[in-house]
Amino acid sequence: MAWLTEQEAKAKRKTDIGPPHYSKMLPPVIAKNYGKWKYHEVFTPGTMVHVAESGDKVYTVRVASPRILATDNIRTMLDIADKYCDGYIRWTTRNNVEFMTTNEANVPLIKKAAEDAGYPAGGIGAGLTNIVHTQGWVHCHSACTDASGLVKAISDELFDYFAEKRLPAKTRFALACCVNMCGAVHCSDLAVVAIHRKVPVIDHDNVKNMCEIPTTVSACPTRAISPDPAKKSIKINPDKCMYCGNCFTVCPPINIHNPEQDGVAIVVGGKVGSLRKGPSFSKLAIPYIKNNPPRWPEVVEAVKNILETYAKGARKHERMGEWIDRIGWEGFFRETGIPFTHQHIDDFTFMRDTMRTSAAFKW
Amino acid sequence: MEQEELKNKIYDYVMAAKGKKKLKEKDIIKGVTASTGEAADVVKKAMREMIDVGRLMYSYGGGSSSVEIPSEEYLREKGMIK
Amino acid sequence: MKKYETPLLDELEKGPWPSFVKEIKTAAKKTEAANDELGQLEKSYRDKKGYWKHGGIVGVLGYGGGVIGRYSSLPNEFPGVAHFHTVRINQPSGLFYNTKDLRVILDLWDEYGSGLTNMHGSTGDMVMLGCRTEALEPFFAEVSSRGWDLGGSGSALRTPACCLGKARCEWANIDTMDICHDLTHTYQDYLHRPAWPYKFKFKVAGCAVDCVASIARADCSIIGTWKGNIAVDQAAVQDYAKGGMDIKAEIVDMCPTGCMSYDGKNLSIDDANCSRCMHCISKMTKALKGTGEKGATILIGSKAPIVVGSLLSWVIVPFMKMEAPYTELKEFSEKIWEWWDDNAKPRERTGELIESKGMRSFLEAIEVDPQPQQVYEPRKDPFFFWKDEDLA
Repeated sequence: MAWLTEQEAKAKRKTDIGPPHYSKMLPPVIAKNYGKWKYHEVFTPGTMVHVAESGDKVYTVRVASPRILATDNIRTMLDIADKYCDGYIRWTTRNNVEFMTTNEANVPLIKKAAEDAGYPAGGIGAGLTNIVHTQGWVHCHSACTDASGLVKAISDELFDYFAEKRLPAKTRFALACCVNMCGAVHCSDLAVVAIHRKVPVIDHDNVKNMCEIPTTVSACPTRAISPDPAKKSIKINPDKCMYCGNCFTVCPPINIHNPEQDGVAIVVGGKVGSLRKGPSFSKLAIPYIKNNPPRWPEVVEAVKNILETYAKGARKHERMGEWIDRIGWEGFFRETGIPFTHQHIDDFTFMRDTMRTSAAFKW
Repeated sequence: MEQEELKNKIYDYVMAAKGKKKLKEKDIIKGVTASTGEAADVVKKAMREMIDVGRLMYSYGGGSSSVEIPSEEYLREKGMIK
Repeated sequence: MKKYETPLLDELEKGPWPSFVKEIKTAAKKTEAANDELGQLEKSYRDKKGYWKHGGIVGVLGYGGGVIGRYSSLPNEFPGVAHFHTVRINQPSGLFYNTKDLRVILDLWDEYGSGLTNMHGSTGDMVMLGCRTEALEPFFAEVSSRGWDLGGSGSALRTPACCLGKARCEWANIDTMDICHDLTHTYQDYLHRPAWPYKFKFKVAGCAVDCVASIARADCSIIGTWKGNIAVDQAAVQDYAKGGMDIKAEIVDMCPTGCMSYDGKNLSIDDANCSRCMHCISKMTKALKGTGEKGATILIGSKAPIVVGSLLSWVIVPFMKMEAPYTELKEFSEKIWEWWDDNAKPRERTGELIESKGMRSFLEAIEVDPQPQQVYEPRKDPFFFWKDEDLA
């Protein structure tokens, strides 16, 4: 294949056409029974069936994915879809891959073929599914940890909860490589978010050339930034800075990265569904663990401890946050053995709502 | 107003802000509407035509988008200058 | 091609979970971009920091979004990633693909890009990871001439996303895939040409389980619901009981409104007190079904924590009918955009503007009346505004 020339590209390009219509992408059984599904049943963590009012059935095999996929490996998946799924495939909103077939006999064959290609089945129902994550060092200027590597290390350790073992309820795990949080980290049962801990270092010469001073000053949520007229730059009040990095986003010469001090925090107990207790934010469990690539053993150990303490203590159908509500946060810190620190008490925007105002609590 | 004249006014308006303020589409439409008396949708259409041929360009920085005078690098890459 | 030693990354090829390092190495056999990505990433692992510069100004002619500029800060050491831009391709609703069309994209991406992708990005687009500036226009011409378009980025409408809805889920109250497709096509101009103070996201979920996390990360969350009763198939309830389900503990006692009871034979629901949270239906999908009028709850304002904390979306319209061509939803959205665009500071999301201007200002601008369904509780303080019209 040769590249299009400039003229060819100009002649060929179309704009404002939007994505192709989904009807071209649906397996026939899906198109036929669209809007007419009756129920579904989960067989194993990697397989389920949906039954339509017509009696038609579609079997789904869900498999793991690292989200970063090479074209050649996607082609391997498409080969499986061509062989067993009439040439259709889909991804879930959490980046798992799904193979669908009307022939139940294909289910173990698909499972085996995907496993042989390196993509094991799992992720349905009351267990772990793909950890949703961000770009990390692979592709982002803002990252203060790597996302894919941490996710890989954690998913290896917790693999049984994806493929076999069950938890009291589904557990949605997310990871963000900075506080910008591309993805729903802030509303996950269990999540890792990378943080900074040191005041940024300012390259004044470049601030002068590259940044709008008023924009940079107003970007700071704690009003730690003020103009520095003498340097035609800005200054930062270290007592007010909470290391959010928003100034770095609007003004790159304000460098907030600090490889020895950057690391991750662990938050727990959020969810997005309205089932039972409504949607809620994740809250701080562990304020800091250092970056320790390539496999971040301290982070892996910490999340495993939280997950297994939850698995032991929660009642059936109780999500992480519901379990914590029942035993109380004092119960959470007792059961997990995680130390409670100054960082756990909100001194930013939510202190009023989060301090205990009752004489009733547990030990 | 002649289309070309309007486009020149738009260009001048964006040029005047260069290096001082990042302009959104809306800022340009508001500013040029006020100075020329042309209707907002007329100004918008003219501005869009300028963007389509690389006389103006969308830019992005500091988390938000703006409209700017194209850089030489951009024009060269789009085949607008050799 | 340069051969990199990658002892740290090699550690991440071990273990049962699929390895992203294996993916990068697969692509690295074909492209210098992926190969240098591998080399630079190993250096990041060694130094515990990234080597990417802030995004640059790149894109396709006429569009202000869809391409995210990315340049290595070490272009001499890793020339293959000197440019490593992201191209977002707008996904089809529901993330279904026929393999034939997807193979065409893959072939083009091998030719013009690094051979690395994200399936998918957080907002939902297919993410083509690693494109040189000079490849952007021809790659765009190739994909657009085959019926695909770019997604959104910058201060624009972001690529709308949805759960798979009626395609394969018995809980879908609304046609999420059609709504998503329709909004995407109706608002192509807003999607490709950033005209707003900041980003704006639509996410469409078929029910309150919210598999697309709309309530946490969409300025406009559209969540399917119903108005009628829950129909109970008592025989199917008995089947669940026989199958080992403890109906009292797992269903009745976990109902947040206490509106259910079970006498060992019949499951009864006090429908007037049901809040339609989906717990019972999701656990006994063969036995329970929402009936009556179907539509959506429209919630506004959610976002991630930057800058003054995360927001969940707020209920603004408790129930809206959702029938093509979705005129009511569109008129509603356009009113929001007008108010937001007129009032917001740069980089101020809709939810943040509502906080700073006040909910009343927002509700009046979009012509929605106050209703108890919008709040958990009324205000606590005795300080509130009165307008002249309230006194009349």
